[in-house]
Amino acid sequence: MTELVGRSVARVDGRAKVTGAAIYAADQPVPDALHGVLVMSTVARGEVLRIDASAALAHPGVVAVLTHRDLPKLVVPHFPYVKRFIPMQGTAVHHVGQPVAIVLATTLEQAQEGAALVSVDYRAEKPSVVIDDAREPAFLPQPFRDRPNEIRRGDAASALREAPVRLEARYSSATRHHNPIEPHTTTARWDGDRVTLFESAQGVLVTRTVVATAFGLPPESVRVVAPYLGGGFGAKGPGWPHTLLTAAAARVARRPVRLVLSRAQMYTSAGHRAEYRQHLRIGATREGRLTAIAETSTAQLTATEDSVFNRSDSTIGLYTCPNLHVRHEGVRLDVASSSYMRSPETTSHFGLETALDELSWQLSIDPLELRRRNHAEFNQETGERLTSKRLLECYAMAAERFGWARRQPRTGATKDGDEYVGWGMATETHTFAAMPSTASVTVGVDGKALAQLATQDIGTGTYTVVTQIVADALGLPLRDVQAQIGDSALPPAGLSAASATIPSISGSVDQAARAARDAVVALAVADRHSPLFGAAPAEIETRDGRLVHLRDRHRHDTYRAVVGRAGEPVRRTATVLNQGGHTYGVVFLEARVHARFGSVRVTRVVTAHDLGRVMNRRTARGQVLGGVTWGIGHALMEHTVFDRNTGRVVNPNLSTYLVPVNADAPPEVETLFVDKPDPASTAMGARGFGETPITGVPAAIGNAIYHATGRRLRDLPITQDKLL
Amino acid sequence: MKSFGYTAVRDPGEAVRLGGRPGTAFIAGGTDLLNLMKDGVTRPDRLVDVNGLELAWVTETASGLRIGGLARMRAVAGHGSVRRGWPVLAEALLASASPQVRNMASIGGNLLQRTRCGYFRDSGSPCNKRVPGSGCPAIDGWSRGHAVLGGSDACIATHPSDLAVAMVALDAVVLVRGSGGERRIPIGEFYLRPGTTPHVENVLRQGELITAVEVPRTGMARRSRYLKLRDRATFEFAVVSVAAAVELNERRVRDVRLAFGGIGTTPWRSPEAEEVLRGKDLTADTIARAGRALVRDAKPRHDNEFKVDLVQRALAELLEGLR
Repeated sequence: MTELVGRSVARVDGRAKVTGAAIYAADQPVPDALHGVLVMSTVARGEVLRIDASAALAHPGVVAVLTHRDLPKLVVPHFPYVKRFIPMQGTAVHHVGQPVAIVLATTLEQAQEGAALVSVDYRAEKPSVVIDDAREPAFLPQPFRDRPNEIRRGDAASALREAPVRLEARYSSATRHHNPIEPHTTTARWDGDRVTLFESAQGVLVTRTVVATAFGLPPESVRVVAPYLGGGFGAKGPGWPHTLLTAAAARVARRPVRLVLSRAQMYTSAGHRAEYRQHLRIGATREGRLTAIAETSTAQLTATEDSVFNRSDSTIGLYTCPNLHVRHEGVRLDVASSSYMRSPETTSHFGLETALDELSWQLSIDPLELRRRNHAEFNQETGERLTSKRLLECYAMAAERFGWARRQPRTGATKDGDEYVGWGMATETHTFAAMPSTASVTVGVDGKALAQLATQDIGTGTYTVVTQIVADALGLPLRDVQAQIGDSALPPAGLSAASATIPSISGSVDQAARAARDAVVALAVADRHSPLFGAAPAEIETRDGRLVHLRDRHRHDTYRAVVGRAGEPVRRTATVLNQGGHTYGVVFLEARVHARFGSVRVTRVVTAHDLGRVMNRRTARGQVLGGVTWGIGHALMEHTVFDRNTGRVVNPNLSTYLVPVNADAPPEVETLFVDKPDPASTAMGARGFGETPITGVPAAIGNAIYHATGRRLRDLPITQDKLL
Repeated sequence: MKSFGYTAVRDPGEAVRLGGRPGTAFIAGGTDLLNLMKDGVTRPDRLVDVNGLELAWVTETASGLRIGGLARMRAVAGHGSVRRGWPVLAEALLASASPQVRNMASIGGNLLQRTRCGYFRDSGSPCNKRVPGSGCPAIDGWSRGHAVLGGSDACIATHPSDLAVAMVALDAVVLVRGSGGERRIPIGEFYLRPGTTPHVENVLRQGELITAVEVPRTGMARRSRYLKLRDRATFEFAVVSVAAAVELNERRVRDVRLAFGGIGTTPWRSPEAEEVLRGKDLTADTIARAGRALVRDAKPRHDNEFKVDLVQRALAELLEGLR
C-alpha cells in the first residue's frame, strides 16, 4: 500500500484549473445556443400589470422576450427546491429581483441590452424586508423536513428560575450572501423530450430531480452536467428558478439557451443566510455547569415559504444541559427565499459561544475550563454515549500550541503600540450529513483506473480524494487513476452539501476499487499466461501498478498485462451507506483593536479539529484557512443591506458587499488535527468536515475583542464604528 | 449593454473635436467607466479612446510637479519626485484600489470617477444624480458611505477619489483642453456640491479633457501625509480619510492644508480647521479644536453619525504624526 490517503496530496485538477483547461458550466461549447438574460422585478411586493417588450424586440439580435404568458406551466418541485413558487408562472411579485421576463438574443450583449429595454408596469405595495419592519409578530413555523422548530428537554423555565447563576442576552446578525466567485449558470439543450443541462450545481442528481419534477419528465430524461464548480457554499445546493426558467425558455425557443446570472442578480436568486435575532437565557451553577438554556431565535422568512435554515444545533446538543427550550421563530418579509449557507449553525453558534464567554467572566472561570466542565459525553437528545468524540483532545492540543495558559484573566490588560490585544476562543461544531452514494471503478486494458460517480467537486478536493482512495486500494500510482464526476449519468451519488461529500462517497469508492482489485487478482491467478498463475489471491500484493507474489517476489505481473490479456476492462460497483453526525473542534485566536479607530484585525489563529480520519491534509487545511477567513468576514464585515423603503439590495456586488481580502487574513493560522479514524464511519473512518472551521470564529473574535477592550458586542458584523 | 461607437485617437485636437459631440465619453483606463456601462448607469453612444495621446508623463519643474492626465496611478505613486516632494500624493494613490486597478487607471480618470453610492450604481433605484428629479433614497436609506458635509436635499453622495483629496490639500490646478481652448482650473473650484443639480459634478464642459494636473512646490507639500480608514484592510474606499500638508516653524504652524475624504460630497477642504491651526502650536488642544471646526456644520444621517467622531480622530492621528 502506498498510503496516499491521509497525506498532503496536491489537487489532481489543480493544473487544469489554473491553466483554464478545466471546462466550467458556462464554458461548455453548445452550438447554436441563445443567450438569455432575466428581467427582474424592481418592486418587492405587488403585481405585474403590463410588460412592454416592443423596444427589446426591435433591438438587433433579440430573438424573443418570454413572459409568464409564454412559458409552459411548471410543477413546483419539493425539497431541495426550497422556494415554494416558480416565477413567471403568474403576475404576483413577492420580492425584488424576481424574474418577470427572459430575453433571448444571439449575443450576450444583445440580450443584456434587450433586458434593459423591457418596460414593466407594476402595482406596488410598501414592502417589509427587515425583521424590525415585520408587519406581523414572529411565529413558530411548521417542522422543516420533519425536524420540529420547538425543542424541549426537561423543564427549562423552572430550572432557570432556580439557577444560582443566570445570564440573559440578545444577539443578532445581518443577512449574508454566499457570493461564490463563479456565478450561477445554466445552459439547457432539449433533444425532443430529453434535456441536458450544463449547470453550476452542488448536486447533479438533485438538480435532475428538480428539473424532472418541474417539467413532469421521468428523471432519465434529464441529464445534468457539472464537472467543476467555482464555489457554491450552499447557494448551488437547492434548485433555483433560473435553472427551470432557462430550460423552459429553451423549450419554447426550440434552441439551446445559456443563462448566467449577473452578480447583482445573485443577491435575489439563490438564497442567503437570513437576518437573525437570538434571545438566550442561560442558567448555571456557581461552578459553571449549565442547568438550563432557553433560546428563542427569529429569522427573516418570506411571504411564500417558512423554512428555518439557521437551526440552533449547538444550543440543542453541544454541551451537557438537562433543561432546554429552543424555539426557531420567524417573521414573514418581502424578500427572496433564504437557504443554507456555509455553515448554517454559525448564526446561532455565535450567540451560544459568546454567552458562554460572558458566563465565564461572570463566574471568573477560564472560558476553556467552562467548556470542559460542560463537555457532553452523551447525545443530549437520545442519551446515547458519543463514541469517538475527541473534542477534549482538540482543546488540549490547540490550547497548548496557542499558549492559552498564559492568558491574562483581565480585560484591557495588553496594549501593543496603538492596539489593544485580546485572546478569544470558541468551540466549533457542525452537523454533517451522509447520503447514499454508489461508485464504480474500472481498470482498463491499459492498466489504468477510472472511478465514476455522480458526486461533485465544489472546490474542496473531491477529484483528489477519490483518486487517492482508488490508487491506494488498487496499488496504482496517482497518475494512473482518473476520477469522473459531476454528471448525473454516472452512478448515483449524493449532494455536495452539509459537508457530506467525503462521508457519503469514500466507502463506496474504496469498496468498488477493492472489488476491482480483487477481480484483477482473480484474473491473474486463473491466467496460465501469468507468472502468478495458480497462486492464492491472498498471497498477491498490489503496488505501483504491479501484482507481486508475497512469498516469491520474482513472480509478478502488472495490471496492464493482466487486464490487457483479458481483453476487456474490469468494472466493479459498490454502495456503502454511512450516517451523518457531528464534527468538533476549537479555535483560539488573537485580535487587535485599534485604540483610536476601533478597527479590528485578527493576528494569530490556532485551530484543532476532530474529523475522524483526515483524508488529505492539504485540502483539509485548505478548508480551515477558508473557514477562518470566512469567519473573519462574517464577524467583521460581511452584510447585505436592504433598502427598507424599496426592498432592494443596496450593495449587490463585491465592491460594496465586503469580504476579506488577503490583507485581512491572519499572517499565521496553525491547523491541528486529531486524525484518528472514527470506527462508526464507513467512510474509511472519515467524518464530514468542510463547514466546521467557520462556526466558532465569529464568537472567538468577539470574545477576543472583549478581552482586549472590555467591550461586549452582540450584533454582527462588528464594524469599527461600534468600537469607537 | 448598450451598443456604442468606438474611436481611438492619437491627436488631442481630434480627441476634443470628437469628444464634444453629446453622448460621447472619453475612455482611458476604463476601470470605472466600463463598470458603469455594464451596470447600465452610464449609457454613452460613443467612446473616444484617449490612451494614444502623449499624456502619460510625470515631470518635476522649478515650480512644482506636472502630471499628465494619462499617467497611470502606479507610475505616479512610484515616481521618485512624487515620493520625495509630495508624499501625500503617493500615499493616497497607494491607498487606492488594488495594484491591478492602479496599473490601468489614469490620473484624469481618477479625478472623474463616479460616486460609490449604492443607489447611484443600481439602475433600478431612483437617484437624482443618475436620473435628475427621481429622488434620493440614500437620505432616508442606507447612508453609511455618505457625506455629512456639503449635502443637499437632492444628494448626499461622497466623491470616492483618494487622489482628489490629496490634490485639494496641495492646491493643485487641473489643466483641461476643450473646443474653446485650454483652461486652468484650481482644484478647489473643480468639483461642485450637489445643490439642486447633483448630476453636475464638476465644471468640465462636454468634450473637455484633463490633459495635466499641476501641483505647486511648497514647504507644506514636503511635509504631507495621507491617512485612510476603511472597512477592510485594503481594496476599499474610505470610510473617512485625511490629507494634511503642514509647514512648521519649530512646533508652530506656519501654514497648513487639510482635506478630507468620505465625509463630504466633494473632496473636502476645511479652511475653518486650517484657520484654527495657523499660527498655533500643534497641541492636543489645537488639534481637537480644529477637528471641531471641521465638523461644525456636519449633518449626519441615520447610518453615518460615527463619521463625525471618526474623522476627528483620524485628523488627530495624522497631525500628531506630523509634529
